[in-house]
Amino acid sequence: MNRLLLLTGACLLVLTASGQRVIDIGKKGEGKIGINLSSFKTGSDSASHTFISVLKADLNRSGYFSVTSSGGGINVVGSCTSGGSQLRADCQVYKSASRQRLLGKSYSAPASSVRSLAHKAADEILYAVTGKKGMASAKLALVYKKGRGSELVVCDIDGHNKRQITKDRSIVVGPGWSPDRKNVVYTSYKGGYPNVYLTGRAKPLSSHAGLNASGAISPDGKSLALIMSRDGNPELYLKSLRTGLLKRLTETRRGDEGSPCWSPDGNHIAYVSNTSGRAQIYIISKKGGTPMRLTTSGSESFSPDWGMNGYIAFSSRIGGRYRIAMINPATKNLKLVETDYADYEDPSWAPDGRHIVCSRTSQYRSSIYLLDTLKDSHVALISGSGDWVSPACSP
Amino acid sequence: MSNKVFKFMFLMVLAGTTAFMSGCKSKNPNTGLYGSDAGLYGDPLLGDVPLEGDSGDWPADGDRSLFDAVYFAYDSSQVNPEEAGKCEAVAKHLNKGKGQGVIVEGHTDERGSHDYNLALGERRALAVRDYLISLGVDPSVIQTKSYGEEMPDSAGHDEGAWRLNRRSVFAIY
Repeated sequence: MNRLLLLTGACLLVLTASGQRVIDIGKKGEGKIGINLSSFKTGSDSASHTFISVLKADLNRSGYFSVTSSGGGINVVGSCTSGGSQLRADCQVYKSASRQRLLGKSYSAPASSVRSLAHKAADEILYAVTGKKGMASAKLALVYKKGRGSELVVCDIDGHNKRQITKDRSIVVGPGWSPDRKNVVYTSYKGGYPNVYLTGRAKPLSSHAGLNASGAISPDGKSLALIMSRDGNPELYLKSLRTGLLKRLTETRRGDEGSPCWSPDGNHIAYVSNTSGRAQIYIISKKGGTPMRLTTSGSESFSPDWGMNGYIAFSSRIGGRYRIAMINPATKNLKLVETDYADYEDPSWAPDGRHIVCSRTSQYRSSIYLLDTLKDSHVALISGSGDWVSPACSP
Repeated sequence: MSNKVFKFMFLMVLAGTTAFMSGCKSKNPNTGLYGSDAGLYGDPLLGDVPLEGDSGDWPADGDRSLFDAVYFAYDSSQVNPEEAGKCEAVAKHLNKGKGQGVIVEGHTDERGSHDYNLALGERRALAVRDYLISLGVDPSVIQTKSYGEEMPDSAGHDEGAWRLNRRSVFAIY
């Protein structure tokens, strides 16, 4: 919890327009940094209108800012114009009171990629003002279910720019990103049996007899953690992506393993096992050895995701509903994210280390939500026309 | 050697292997962590009989209409005594040389994560496979395929539906 307290405390001490007041963003809704974009000039074309509206939405969604048209501790001036197919944006960011310039930058891109340009500007403004990494440029890989099949979809973290990646009329489960953000690893039945695939590669990464599932690529890109049953029981394995060499990490004849994820340093793997009688989360060294049981609370725990902030987010069945929790693996300090009556599952850390993307199921319909672990309001990202599940946020 | 004698010897060898493996378990570093849970959870009767080759080499579909599904308790992969007869009917069929083999398809209910349910479904299929092996079916003609929670039999969202969805289905090829 120490690190989190540090986050709410230290990094968010920001001077406002008055130059005196200390802002604490940890408190709900209060203390966001007012950011004023009313002097930002846009052309009459649709691309530059999109740019400014996406930029404003991103800044609001970051949780650190409140976009305002009067006052505000931070002033963004500049312009956005599109000449033909090319878009150009100039951005200057000032502290309103001292007129100190925090960022001065020009962006240029094809008008067709206006949204990613705005996301980039939003992340750079956030970094210039707070020193924090943003999430606006992150992408989501997720599963869209309609009828009996499901397909892999990739979109921006704001839910826009959706692209259907698979068109196999098969079943897709559990997508995750390659560390270079370029590809998605996922389980599919397109070859008749559950195999692990990587986008942009026709041949499966793993297709042994039995189960091949839950692939997760190590931060150094060299190995794949996955669940296989080739030796007669579902167990956790490592597969070298260069040599194909296999290493079995667990040996639990009385249970099954699932959902591996890597620690940020790539030395450990967190995963689910029901060897205790109920599904709980364990950690094991990538070299193998004795696993450590991490979770004890809740009747069951699933879907660990180990964030760059060191915390493992997971879903836990507590009082008959699924909730999102985060745990510090060193201290085992646990924190539940406040949510409503619905079921929240499959959490994935956004790269800002503050937000969690997850699925929310209510009335048997699943949609994708963005939760703020610093208690700002939660936001619906994607919903409707079928079920949206298992979101994975790019690093 | 008659077929019956061979089967008997095969079973003895399997039983011996199982006894040997459980003997080794006490030396396993994981025992401290898992030992106390002995018998709580679906214990494949023989267990750990490897699945050979690449999934691309195996038939991916079969006839599901011939035998009834085997049903399971929540988060359990134990073949209950009252469900065992269904496995025995399949073993009889295959041992008589009717059909080349079987794909045992494991399913779960919708509770728990999509990802974890793949492993649970697979374990249900493997528990049935292990039982078939103990009944003398050649391991190399029993494939397993977990569908996790992706292919429910009942679209409902209550215990009545969940009970129908926690199952292993026999697809004879």
